[in-house]
Amino acid sequence: MTGKLSGKNAIVTGVASGIGKATATRLAADGANLFCVDRDEAGLGKVVSGLGEGHIGYTADLSLASSCEEVVAAALAHWDNRIHILVNAAAILIREPTLEHSRKAWDLTFDVNLKAPFILSRDVVASMMEARIQGAIVNVASIEAVLPGRGHVAYTASKGAITMLTRSAAFEAAPYGIRVNAVSPGVIATGMNADLREDPESWSEMLSGTPMGRHGEPEEIAAVIAFLASDDPSFVTGAIVTSDGGWTLH
Amino acid sequence: MNGAGRSGVRRVAILTGAGRGIGKGIATTLAERGYDLVITSRTSEDLEVTRLLVEEAGGSATVVVADLKDPDTPSLLVDTALHRYGRLDGLVNNAAVNFFVPFWDQPESNLDETIATNLTAPFFLCQAAANYWVENRLSGAIVNISSAEDTIAYPEQVPYACSKGGLLSMTKVLALEWGPLGIRVNAVSPGSVDTEMTPDVYRRQAPKLMPIGRLGRPEDIGACVFFLLSDDAAFVTGTALYADGGYMLQ
Repeated sequence: MTGKLSGKNAIVTGVASGIGKATATRLAADGANLFCVDRDEAGLGKVVSGLGEGHIGYTADLSLASSCEEVVAAALAHWDNRIHILVNAAAILIREPTLEHSRKAWDLTFDVNLKAPFILSRDVVASMMEARIQGAIVNVASIEAVLPGRGHVAYTASKGAITMLTRSAAFEAAPYGIRVNAVSPGVIATGMNADLREDPESWSEMLSGTPMGRHGEPEEIAAVIAFLASDDPSFVTGAIVTSDGGWTLH
Repeated sequence: MNGAGRSGVRRVAILTGAGRGIGKGIATTLAERGYDLVITSRTSEDLEVTRLLVEEAGGSATVVVADLKDPDTPSLLVDTALHRYGRLDGLVNNAAVNFFVPFWDQPESNLDETIATNLTAPFFLCQAAANYWVENRLSGAIVNISSAEDTIAYPEQVPYACSKGGLLSMTKVLALEWGPLGIRVNAVSPGSVDTEMTPDVYRRQAPKLMPIGRLGRPEDIGACVFFLLSDDAAFVTGTALYADGGYMLQ
């Protein structure tokens, strides 16, 4: 297959569902070779088998630092030390009232939403420097970093943290031609809000904050990620690209 | 000028990281303007110096040597304020650590330590203070000391940037959720401030690096904290006050 990402080797996390799944599908359609990561082995297998030939599924629990290091090592071994793209899409959202939010939920949220992208980005950037690859890292932030929602404080704080992971890593990697950017999604229909969508009234109230009057689809975020991962935005780094149907306009 | 309520009664605040640098400046400024303080850090020698400065400024300070990463520390600090002074009006989360290492060489232990001190500890202190205020139907004010680095990138301090980006988002979500409870939550984001940790080269370069022509003084930050804690800021919540001498304009 030829496409904008033809010949590029890409790691994508959180591939079993949501934005990660749509991103893997899109990057594969654009010609990239994929190394897909998720803790949900069955869900991951289903997505990877739908991508066509030559893509890898790798089951890993990204809440463990050692697993994150293993992911990069395995991808480097598979691709002869050449990784061009990393997309950090895996994330969790735990709802607990803020006055009672537990340390357990806080720590797990930061392990998955910040520490995993930190380790994966660090090791992938190091490999790109070593192999002199002018690659691209794309993180998934959230408009909640700027306009927070209620009842999941650790998630919101972790998205503020990954925003600055993006910008500070971008600053250091820039001299090597390695770009680090993020997409900041608004309300996207994923497993993270499946329960909310079951209540049409509260869901439509939620969407009333979106000038476009609808939620976004994972594929619309994947399209932004595919752009940031490609060579087209070759002068773009440290950018937080908002894709929210206008939510943050007001 | 004075921070005491209109009745003339002194107010009480908890201040972390009070032994050095900006923390010391915040302590003296608040003491001069009507606050008694519960001051904490990991070492008693520095805190004793701060305690004397607070007393010279006409206030009282109670020293608590504690590790902010200990889950029991938040309630210890709140209980100390209530036991010693019978009230709690404000909380200032100032303690922070920073590890200067190129991104690709940062061990994850640096991220763990930085997030634990700069973000997790402030959250659980906010939670402990807020629970006290809510249970007693009192209002309160919180100021988190962030950094210009919650927005702009500096080299070789990715974990610190992550922690400050997270702290800024956390400040916003707590302000949103606790606004109806009468609790205001804001941040002060300092740029380069002249402390015992400041390298000489910063001082030499300050006249041309800083639009205001000098580095910040700890008391400059103290004045901003005082304002955000005070009733003059009664309608201000969820914001970050950048006290950076104009550095971010460049």
